[in-house]
Amino acid sequence: MRGFVRQLLTIAGKDLRLELRSRERLVSMMTFAVLVAVVFSFSLDPGVEARTVAGAMLWVTILFAGMLGLGRSFALEREQDAMMGILLAPLDRGALFLGKLIANLALLLATEVAVFVVFALFFQLSYWKTLGSVILVVVLASVGFMILGTLFSAMAAGTRLGETLLPVLILPLLMPVVIYAASSTQRLIVGRPFAEVAGSVRVLVVFDLIFLIVSILLFGAVVEE
Amino acid sequence: MNDVVESQESTRRWAVILSAISGLSVLATFWLIFFYVPTEREMGIVQRIYYVHVPSAWVAFLAFGIVALCSLVYLWIRDDRLDAIALSSAELGLVFTTIVLITGPLWGKIAWGVWWVWDARLSLTLLLWFIYVGYFMLRGATENPERGKRFAAILGIVGAVDIPLIHVSVLWFRSQHPQPVVLRAEGPTADPEIVKTLLFSFLTFTIVFFALLLLRYGLERLQRRVDAATFRAATRSSSINSQGAVR
Repeated sequence: MRGFVRQLLTIAGKDLRLELRSRERLVSMMTFAVLVAVVFSFSLDPGVEARTVAGAMLWVTILFAGMLGLGRSFALEREQDAMMGILLAPLDRGALFLGKLIANLALLLATEVAVFVVFALFFQLSYWKTLGSVILVVVLASVGFMILGTLFSAMAAGTRLGETLLPVLILPLLMPVVIYAASSTQRLIVGRPFAEVAGSVRVLVVFDLIFLIVSILLFGAVVEE
Repeated sequence: MNDVVESQESTRRWAVILSAISGLSVLATFWLIFFYVPTEREMGIVQRIYYVHVPSAWVAFLAFGIVALCSLVYLWIRDDRLDAIALSSAELGLVFTTIVLITGPLWGKIAWGVWWVWDARLSLTLLLWFIYVGYFMLRGATENPERGKRFAAILGIVGAVDIPLIHVSVLWFRSQHPQPVVLRAEGPTADPEIVKTLLFSFLTFTIVFFALLLLRYGLERLQRRVDAATFRAATRSSSINSQGAVR
């Protein structure tokens, strides 16, 4: 068990260290997210009150920015065929998946902080009253997003189409996350109490747990060669 | 080798038998739909599309279930036949989901007054269709065929696990919105003729599905044998060529 955790942290550490040095994924995700916010401000009719559609805007932005980051998740491994090296290492496949997941999740959460700050500035949103609940919803939904994202980006990297295929594969599968995350975020932003989104939070937890188990079990079949 | 030929012979024989039965059954269903069953009181003649629409949806979900089951066992024992069944079933699933998505709006436009509403069942079917499309894009984009089979199987399993969750979420999403002020397509008041026709239509579509599945499966197996033979012939001739060059 301790070996498993160490392997997992090694993989996550490797990815995050690479990212800290190059910052290429984080910078492109954040820049893209801010640009989407700009696009929203110019494409929304001035008569529309941004607060009433903030949940949808935030989650569209997060989904697209996250997808952008996921596209590069296995890119290094593919380009240099470094995947072979990782697979030859005495490493549990589940640990490899979880390590990748943690690295991807860390990047997404960092981007989300930027997204929420920028949206607050651009659209005069305030999360202070329900900050804890917003964080809970966002983290749970992001975990679900990244579980399927990590699994499918590993597969997409093994195809001719690469990251182009990724959104086509995971967007339909992510619809439960989108529905519960966007509606809960929306309600919390307009100041509804947590009790109103508790049911959604429970479903997000179930989604995360189910796909965490399924993905760990299936990941071995993705990377076997 | 003989075993393979023999099993394909029996696949073909069963496919022909089932096709004949499904042909008769389709004719009988048409007779039931167009002559036997009375016109539904509120929706009128358009309601007759119901007997194509609902059984297609049933078959589409049945197909996805078969894809998921075969995918799961394929990852376990890696039998090429299971992958061929999954692929054939997914193709039929896509066809029948498309039928549902075409007949639905045709009916909805007249019964509800709009082509499309984000009703739970419509949303679920649409997302199922997209998952099927992704299944074929994933297969098509993977150059290594063995890897393509594995990836497709994984998508088949994840999709099957996700379908109930999608269903729960779209139901919940619907209940958050006002219901459209149009006629709801909750089963018609159970006239015995309508129920009988529907049940018979279910049976017909199921037989048609399995007939097509067997035909498609036989074709897929044949295709794979031809590919393997072509590959063997190509490698043999290239090795002869290279020997010639040495000489």
